Amino acid sequence: MTTTTTTSSTDAPGTSPSGVAGSPPKRNDLPTVRYTMAQMRRSAGRLTAAGIAILIGTAFVAVTLLAGNVITRATYDTIAARYADADVLVTTSGNDWREDVEAVRGTEGVVAADAVRSAYLNLAENGEFAYAEGVARPQDDRLMPLDLTEGKWPSERGEIAVPDGVAERLGVAVGDEIDIHRWVQTDPETGDGEEVSEPVRVVGVTEDPYGAYAASGGAVVATAADIEEWGDEPVPGDPFEIAAVLDPSALAGGEPTQAVRDALNSAVVSDGDHSVVTVDEHAQRVSAERTGGEDLVFLVFVLTFAAVALLVAGLVIANTFQVLVAQRTRTLALLRCIGAGRGQLYRSVLLEAAVLGVLASLGGVLTGVLLAQTALFVAPQFDIGVPLPTIVSLTPQVVLIPLAVGTVVTLVAALAPARNATRVAPLAALRPAETLSVRKGAGRVRAIFSALAVLGGSGLVGLGVYLGADGRVDLGLAATVLGGALSLIGIIVGTVFWLPKVAAFLGAIVARTGPASRLAAANTLRNPRRTSATATALLIGVTLIMTMTTGAAAARSTADSTLDETFPVDIMVMPGSSDVPASAVDDIAGVEAVSTVTEVYAADAELPGGEYLYLQAADIEDLRGTVNDESAADGLEPGTVLLSEGQMENLDLAEGDTVDATGTGGETVPLQVVETSNVGLTSFVTLGDLRRLDPDAALAGVWASLAPEAEPADALADVQDAMSDDGVFVTGPAAQRAQFEQVINVMLGIVVGLLAVAVVIAVIGVANTLSLSVIERRRESATLRAIGLSKSQLRGMLAVEGMLIAGVGAVLGIVLGLAYGWTGALTALSIMGEVSLTVPWLDLGVVLVVAVVAGLVASVAPARSALKASPVEALGAE
Amino acid sequence: MDTTVYVPVDGTRAVRARDLTKTYGSGEAAVHALAGVDVDFAAGEFTAIMGPSGSGKSTLMHLLAGLDTATSGQAFVGTTDVTALNDSALTKLRRDRVGFVFQQFNLLPMFTAEQNITLPVELAGGTVDRQWFGTLVETLGLTERLTHRPAEMSGGQQQRVAIARALIAQPDVVFADEPTGNLDSRSGAEVLSFLRRSVRELGRTIIMVTHDPAAAAYADRVVLLADGRIAGDISDPTPESALAGLDALRTLEPNVSTGTTPVVPGAGAR
Repeated sequence: MTTTTTTSSTDAPGTSPSGVAGSPPKRNDLPTVRYTMAQMRRSAGRLTAAGIAILIGTAFVAVTLLAGNVITRATYDTIAARYADADVLVTTSGNDWREDVEAVRGTEGVVAADAVRSAYLNLAENGEFAYAEGVARPQDDRLMPLDLTEGKWPSERGEIAVPDGVAERLGVAVGDEIDIHRWVQTDPETGDGEEVSEPVRVVGVTEDPYGAYAASGGAVVATAADIEEWGDEPVPGDPFEIAAVLDPSALAGGEPTQAVRDALNSAVVSDGDHSVVTVDEHAQRVSAERTGGEDLVFLVFVLTFAAVALLVAGLVIANTFQVLVAQRTRTLALLRCIGAGRGQLYRSVLLEAAVLGVLASLGGVLTGVLLAQTALFVAPQFDIGVPLPTIVSLTPQVVLIPLAVGTVVTLVAALAPARNATRVAPLAALRPAETLSVRKGAGRVRAIFSALAVLGGSGLVGLGVYLGADGRVDLGLAATVLGGALSLIGIIVGTVFWLPKVAAFLGAIVARTGPASRLAAANTLRNPRRTSATATALLIGVTLIMTMTTGAAAARSTADSTLDETFPVDIMVMPGSSDVPASAVDDIAGVEAVSTVTEVYAADAELPGGEYLYLQAADIEDLRGTVNDESAADGLEPGTVLLSEGQMENLDLAEGDTVDATGTGGETVPLQVVETSNVGLTSFVTLGDLRRLDPDAALAGVWASLAPEAEPADALADVQDAMSDDGVFVTGPAAQRAQFEQVINVMLGIVVGLLAVAVVIAVIGVANTLSLSVIERRRESATLRAIGLSKSQLRGMLAVEGMLIAGVGAVLGIVLGLAYGWTGALTALSIMGEVSLTVPWLDLGVVLVVAVVAGLVASVAPARSALKASPVEALGAE
Repeated sequence: MDTTVYVPVDGTRAVRARDLTKTYGSGEAAVHALAGVDVDFAAGEFTAIMGPSGSGKSTLMHLLAGLDTATSGQAFVGTTDVTALNDSALTKLRRDRVGFVFQQFNLLPMFTAEQNITLPVELAGGTVDRQWFGTLVETLGLTERLTHRPAEMSGGQQQRVAIARALIAQPDVVFADEPTGNLDSRSGAEVLSFLRRSVRELGRTIIMVTHDPAAAAYADRVVLLADGRIAGDISDPTPESALAGLDALRTLEPNVSTGTTPVVPGAGAR
């Protein structure tokens, strides 16, 4: 069977009419199946490339689902780890928790039981601080999830064992004494309290091998009595947990017997709901609760990108099948001539798609599982703080969902090509080969749909921008995202109308560089529909990536201007655990990167309405020289006070009003209100006015500006070093900006990384299209070789073709991405003030170069196969 | 070896084959497409290579033009041994010194007639000799067709464009492979007249492979090929003499046992 079906595609259909005639009631699909398999084997190479697109898409889905499982599993393990080897968990209302613990301990079959309690501790030593969760040393070590690496467990009050991380941070070892700070309420009436500090002795160092307290970096262990004193009373009504170890006699197959469950249930003293569950049951319930929250958001977020990747894969598949059907026109027509029905041809193409979809999706799932397993294998080498399972958990969903999605996408993508296959007239078999591939242009319905979607989408985007500027960011963003998606769909559907024109324009430019380029440019326009579909696949990924980078750039520069308003100067030194000493001024001025320094004084003043206003002042000349925006201090002169819009509203004042401020020194100074938008300079008066209000006004801070050539982050670190002994707080926009940058960069990196999958698939699509074109143009390539096209010119021709297709997709994607990024930024950021619409040139250049190089790379394999065609082929008949 | 400058050492011979052999497969299954062919083609002459299907006439042409590699022997275009050239030298040879006319015309569908004609010169990075272009276009009757694309032209017109393309670089020799195979008899006759005119009036050298005695009659000379060997030579052929020569080969057929496929009378190449 193999030889007959592979050598001639007409074999199987040859049996078709007799098969149909032989058994009329049962539609004989066997010939179709056999024919399809034979056809697939003939086109194996072409289908493989398309299959890889689906494989990547489904692998993406599979990895996402597996990651979701890993997160759930890790959550579960972390929850379970906290109870160590406890057999049972009694949860009560905690109203009479001490009695509950005693009752559980007294229950028959219980070996040991302890309340699961913790206290937040503030440890201090050597001028360093560390916050840690403190847990009580349980009655039985089987209830202790931590391991001891050094020293011993605390056995007396005033003894603690600290996590290795805390010991390192504080620079303490076993035997050292450290302080525990805590806040003690002294007067329950007013809520007043004081911070007390008491010394404790470190007797042991712990580690957290199962990640029970991974979220807080391990836990400090102390005696139960200390923890009870240091921690808060349990909040009534909150579930209170008691973990217990049972005697083997109370266990059946590792589970507590019904008898012991009943005994524990009735032993609980507290009123209200209570339950007795195993640790497993508890962890499952809690992690299931959490899965409904963050995990679901994570899954939806990542799966959105998987959907984009699959959409692109679908375009690649649709394109491949269109070309395959076009190439098989003659065979299809021949089949029709000898009696194949339309339905049989339709089913044949769909069957082919289904087989491809299933195989590629299976490959995708396998790839996904291998990737996830590799990641789990590698992950422990990086300190990620959370213990991960060592093998992936293969749930039915992980296999079935990608398989179903991949197959459905492939099938849907093949619908239009399958319909085209049925449209082949039997007569086509008799016509000469050249005229067959000509197909009419796109339909009117498509044009109308595209136009409506683009117009409607743009309208929605406009509405979103308006809403965003109006302050209703949530609603505005929803409208912009929806409108953006709608218009992008319209653009994608309509690419066939206008993308070839752009390709023609770019092609005309490229064509000037030589005959090979001219051939390439002409080739790209030969099949506008195919070029459009291929470029569109890339356009989607590029558009989304560019939208994100443009949005991020806008956010960055908008944040910059906002930060400049929030922080009037480059560096601010403010009181921290102690006041700013007078020596700070010289210390800061001594830092090399600092150019000017201003001393800022402050005092409270009482206003007529009884409100207090915290007024600041500095030497006006120093201030002008130090603030970033020199004009910010413009309105400041004797007898005025700078107030923000918000402050004026709160104090019921308007610009130009005069308010009488009374200082602690007793003098009253009339101050005229001047509005300022510079948040940093609010409540500023002149130094003279401040001294009149309070002759003893203290140094409240030191502001510094940096030399233009200074690196802000480094300068900040230098100033922090200079101030390290003084217990003051050093901040500046540089620090904030660096932090903000980092957040944006990390998020952008994740999103671009996820979108890159779609771009990779699209590049495979470019390679696939080029390969198919090369196969179609065998004779032509051979002719060109015969009339003097050199090998390198042929290679160059395909390279230019690849770069042209990719370039068109990239250029259009960049333009669209800029538009979407800007409208998105306008919607989301208008609330922060003036949005700066910048062009991220660097990102833009990188995207363009990557796309064009990808097009070049995509042409390598097709060129190799094109070069195999010897010129002799051009001479022979078909 | 220099391929760019043609030095006509032997002014009368444009193309030569010396003991040219082409064998497909090996051992028992070996098929000798060409079994040691020695033949000369004079410059400024229109020569037809005739022979039944499987006689090796196409193979001979491919080897002479450097499109395929010989098993042994030599083929010369002018003084250049094409069997000794590497791919890039062969590409240069095809650009500058050899032209082709194909049975299927093989014009590029996205280019106009004019663009198709000038393509070889552009590929070589040269400039089109407008005067020569004008002469060709006029001789071939294409003046009205220059802006048309292949799909808008008849087969005869397309083949005339192909002839112009083959001649544009003023090559030493033009190889034509069944140039009338896809044309009706009237267009075929027209194309053959054009080929003869380009030899007589423009001084070109043309070697045409055909199985049609009527087409061969347009040539100055017919070389007969059978079973990979030269089997005859007819000067100033007529359709009748060409057909007689071909028939003579067929009657010889049963006596020759070279292991090649027996030729069925009446079955020509496609």
